[in-house]
Amino acid sequence: MSTSTPVTPATERSSPDSSMQQRLAKLVQPLILLAPAGFWLFLLLVIPTLLILQLSLVPGIRPGQPIQGFGLGNYLEIFQPIYLRVIGRSISYAIGTTVICLLLGFPVAYWIAVLAPKRWRNLLLICFVLPLWTSSLLRAYAWITILRPTGVLNSLLAAIGLPGQTWLNRDPAVFIGMSYSFLPYIVLILYASLEKLDKRLLEAAADLGAPPQTAFWQVTVPQTLPGIAAGGLLVFITSLGDFVVPELLGGASSMTTARLIYNQFLGATRNWGLGSALSILLILGVSLAIALLIKYGDRNADGLV
Amino acid sequence: MPPNLRLSRLSSSTFLSSRRRFLQLSSAALSGVVLSNCAGNLAEVGGTESSPTSGSAVGNATGTTGDKSTLYVYSWTNYTDPELLRDFQSKTGIQVVVDNYDSNETMLAKMQAGGGSQYSVIFPSDYMVTQMVELGMLTELDQSRLRGLATLKPQWQNPSYDPNNAHSVPATWGTTGFVFDPTRLPGEMRGWDYLFDNQAQLTRQITLINDVREVMGSVLRFLGYSFNSENASELEAAYKKLVELKPAIANFLTNGWEDQIASGDLSVSMAYSTDALSLMAEAPNLKYIVPESGSSLWTDTIVIPKTAPHPDAAYEWINYFLNPENNANLVSRLKFATPNQAAFDLLPSELKEDPNLFPPEEVLAKCERIAPVSEKITEAFDSYWTQLTSA
Repeated sequence: MSTSTPVTPATERSSPDSSMQQRLAKLVQPLILLAPAGFWLFLLLVIPTLLILQLSLVPGIRPGQPIQGFGLGNYLEIFQPIYLRVIGRSISYAIGTTVICLLLGFPVAYWIAVLAPKRWRNLLLICFVLPLWTSSLLRAYAWITILRPTGVLNSLLAAIGLPGQTWLNRDPAVFIGMSYSFLPYIVLILYASLEKLDKRLLEAAADLGAPPQTAFWQVTVPQTLPGIAAGGLLVFITSLGDFVVPELLGGASSMTTARLIYNQFLGATRNWGLGSALSILLILGVSLAIALLIKYGDRNADGLV
Repeated sequence: MPPNLRLSRLSSSTFLSSRRRFLQLSSAALSGVVLSNCAGNLAEVGGTESSPTSGSAVGNATGTTGDKSTLYVYSWTNYTDPELLRDFQSKTGIQVVVDNYDSNETMLAKMQAGGGSQYSVIFPSDYMVTQMVELGMLTELDQSRLRGLATLKPQWQNPSYDPNNAHSVPATWGTTGFVFDPTRLPGEMRGWDYLFDNQAQLTRQITLINDVREVMGSVLRFLGYSFNSENASELEAAYKKLVELKPAIANFLTNGWEDQIASGDLSVSMAYSTDALSLMAEAPNLKYIVPESGSSLWTDTIVIPKTAPHPDAAYEWINYFLNPENNANLVSRLKFATPNQAAFDLLPSELKEDPNLFPPEEVLAKCERIAPVSEKITEAFDSYWTQLTSA
């Protein structure tokens, strides 16, 4: 928001000597400011990732074995049909969740940002963010209570004479749980995007005879496309690596990459090499999505992401 | 620009900027919550263990690793209860923090990864004791410090998995079977063949234990082979049988099925006898059987890992378990079978004669102990298990 206050002219006219110092300070200051966080990231993100990379290059290493010989065996193992199937399942869960979140989140964000009275907007947003303040584990268990065959939902369905559902321990439960988990993120981001919507363009579209539907597709959606991309990718990234929901709600046929990695380290089948290779693959996949996010995402909503 | 207009623009801009600040703040708070959730989830879901500080501590545990007054115990879920921890503390002055695991392999993985260095007491099963001894992970016990080894039943005096109990003290034993509500199952449920014959009616109604050796072994046994088969084609046959059953399998759960079977969400759960009998104390409509083809016969032991920070307290813990009165109380409360003859003698007769808790000889004769298998066969077991759980 540029206000039209008169801008004061540059206050200091520096001598060449102090400009050298200033330039030096300009170089050093950010380094000092970034050092603590940089050290933190290096210690807890870069080094562990490099260790995983190293392990991933030792074929079939199991705990307690010495590292001997490097190779790409673990990565080749991933190409077994069974693992490809798991990766495919992870991706389809993530895509499905993203689509559901967009379909559910857009109307809500539109309503809060455009239709709801201004003074209610903050409150409405808080209400939407509020569920995130409980543990995601707790939320998954809540969904078990709702979806189980003798649960809340089936009691309601029976009360109104509808046949019961058997979604628990199947894909529908995973989609429900993940969409519920990630909906607030996408609403926040879409809200930030829709809030900046230039309503004069909608008025102009109406004046020029566009029915609301056309105006929505021709004006609103293109203007919020960066927000849609940012929100969609954020949901995609988080759901791609989600562990809790598939583990608790998905049942016997919901193995995802994250669960498979867990099993290689702390589960029944201990194969650190394969687990590390899968981790690296997941990191690469997520990095790719983040790169897309940076390229196509809503730059003005970046502060949110 | 007229002043009043300017004023209104200013106020609208502060309004907007304050909302933007709210957005930034809330998203910052949000990411904090998300991060802490992630950490919590890892701790919670990771084999249902929790971090030592959040474990079920008695009193106000200080939670620092290696604290001389705190004993960290790594155990199966049903071997401790708050009363045990209270009683142990009042008798020895040692605070106990318990973390749980749900399979031997999970426990081994965590210990091997170095994530279990705070534990002074672990409860591995028989075959896992052998494996951990081979890996050099267990302290050789100083038997002069143990009181009551002589009261163990003869078959546990010199067990094959750990000759002379050199590294382990047998603590509990039991079988692995099925728990179910008989009124929900037409016909007579006697074991695996019932599940295979009626699987069309049992779609997503069964849970199996999340343990490769128990599940594969039990099916191997059903097919007439050994739990410890080293024959690749026999393993494959068992795997194929399980694939056939897959549509009926709701989930692979060692624990967590209790609620669902009691409320009728599930029809059959494969379970350790301890867990099944504990549940049946609350839900008497349920029934427990050992499959007709036989089950595994397991002994869970108490060991002290070489990394134990507090071995003295660990000896206290073992002696507490070996004490007949303590042991008999635990059996009454936690429903595990005890290898301790002196404790058995103290039990009320309805427990002594409970065929689920102490199965008769003819049932035990059909059962088999799980033993370590060669590295190659272990990999085959693991590979089939991955295939089964990933498909």
